[in-house]
Amino acid sequence: MAGKIIAVKWGYNPNSSSLGVDVTFLLFGMAAISFLTPLVSLFLRGRKPT
Amino acid sequence: MRTFRYERFGGIVQLERPRALVFVDRDRARALGYRDQERWLQPPPEGELGLLSAPLEAHLQLTNRCSAGCQGCYTGASPDGAPQEYGESDWRRVIDALAAQGVFHLALGGGESALLPWLGDLARYARARGLVPNLTTSGLYSDHELERLIGWAPLFGQINVSLDGIGDGYRQVRGVDGFAQADRAIVRLRKVHKFVGINCVVTRQNFDSLAEIFGYVKKRKLREIELLRFKPSGRGRRVYESLRCTDAQHRSLLPAVLKLARRHRLRVRLDCSYTPMIAHHRVKPELMAWLGVYGCAGGDLLVAAKATGALTACSFAAPTEVRADRIADYWQRPDAFSTFRQWRSSEEPCRSCDYLKLCRGGCRVVSAHTLHDAARPDPECPRVVDFRAQQPVRLHLPLVADASANANANAND
Repeated sequence: MAGKIIAVKWGYNPNSSSLGVDVTFLLFGMAAISFLTPLVSLFLRGRKPT
Repeated sequence: MRTFRYERFGGIVQLERPRALVFVDRDRARALGYRDQERWLQPPPEGELGLLSAPLEAHLQLTNRCSAGCQGCYTGASPDGAPQEYGESDWRRVIDALAAQGVFHLALGGGESALLPWLGDLARYARARGLVPNLTTSGLYSDHELERLIGWAPLFGQINVSLDGIGDGYRQVRGVDGFAQADRAIVRLRKVHKFVGINCVVTRQNFDSLAEIFGYVKKRKLREIELLRFKPSGRGRRVYESLRCTDAQHRSLLPAVLKLARRHRLRVRLDCSYTPMIAHHRVKPELMAWLGVYGCAGGDLLVAAKATGALTACSFAAPTEVRADRIADYWQRPDAFSTFRQWRSSEEPCRSCDYLKLCRGGCRVVSAHTLHDAARPDPECPRVVDFRAQQPVRLHLPLVADASANANANAND
C-alpha cells in the first residue's frame, strides 16, 4: 500500500495530568517497527473510511 | 467514535481494535480512501508533525473536590473544591467545543470526579459526541459512590486507579493510609471492566518498590501500569524536594521498568515528563517518534482545563485567560500556550540535542519551579545534569525584581 505510517500511539491515556505513552515496545528496539508496521497496515486496511 | 482527522502531514486514523491512533502521511491517507482536503494545500511539515490541528486529548479536572488530603496532591484538592467550579452543563459545552475541534480522547480527573453525581451522564454525552472518555480515580470514597461508579464503568475506555504503593508504601508517598480502599476499588472495577490499570507516581520513596507494585498489578490481572513523575504543583510544591526521584533513579528508570514489564508481561506507560530519561538511554529517535514518545506535549498533543473551565497547556500549568469552550479561537493564536510551544528556541544543552524535536526540553513545570523560568531546560534531565556539571562554577544572584518578573511571566503562560 502506498504511503507510510508515521507513528502509532497505542491505547487510551486515562491519566488526567500528563500524556502517558506506551513504552513496552521499546523492549524490541527497531524490530518493533518492522513487525508492527504490517500488522497496523492490516488493521488499517480492514476499516472503511467515513 | 471519530475515525479520522486531517492534518498537514496527512491524517490520524483512530482504530478501535487494537486501540490506537495511527499517524499516516498523505499518500497512505489517500490509499485508505481519504480525498485531498484544504489542509493538504500547503506542503507537509518537514521532519516533524508540526502543530496539530487540535490536541489528541483533553484532560478535564471536573472538580477540585476531594477529602483525601494527600500531601503531594498536584491540584491542591480540598473537601470544598475550587470556587466557581464548572457544572455539568458547562462541561457539556466544553465537550461540544472539543468535539468540533476533532479531539479524540478525554481524560477525566479531579479532585475526585467519581464524587460527581453527573459523571456518568457526562461520559455518556462525550461518547455521543464521538469522544472516548477515560477516567482516573483514587477509589477513596464510600461504598455507595463506588457502586455508582461501577455502574458507569462500561462508558469509559480505560479506568486507572491511583496507587503509589502497596500497604504502608501507599501511606509513605501520599501521607494518608488509603491502600485498602484503593485496592477495593481496583478489585471491584476489574470485575466489570477489562481495561483497568493503575497510575503510580514514582518518588524516591517508592522507586525501590516498583517490583512489588508491578507484582500487584499482575496479581490483580490489570492491563497496564502508568508511571508518573512527581511534579512540583499544588501541595506537591511543598514536598517536592523530599519526594522527587534522585538523579541516579532517573537514569535507571527505563531499564528497570522495561525489565519489570518483560518479567510480568505487562504494558507500561511513562508520562511525557519522563522523555528525557528515555532519551538518556540513546533509544533511536526514529523508534521514539514511531511510538509517539514525545516530551512536553502541553498545548500541542494535549490540553487541560481546570475545575473552573480555564484552559491550560497541561494540568500542572497556570491557566490561560480563556475558557476551554473557546479553544477554537485560542488554538491558532501565535502566542497560544507561550512557553509550551517555544521549545524550538531552547538553550543549550537542548539546542544541540538529537532528541529536541521529541523531548521538547523536558517538563516545563519542573523548570518553572526549580529555575523560575519555564523556558529553560528541564534541570532533572540527565543530559542537562551532566552539562551543568561541566560548566565553570559561577555565582548567579538574581535581583529580587528579576525573580519576581520571571514568576509573573510563568504565571501568565
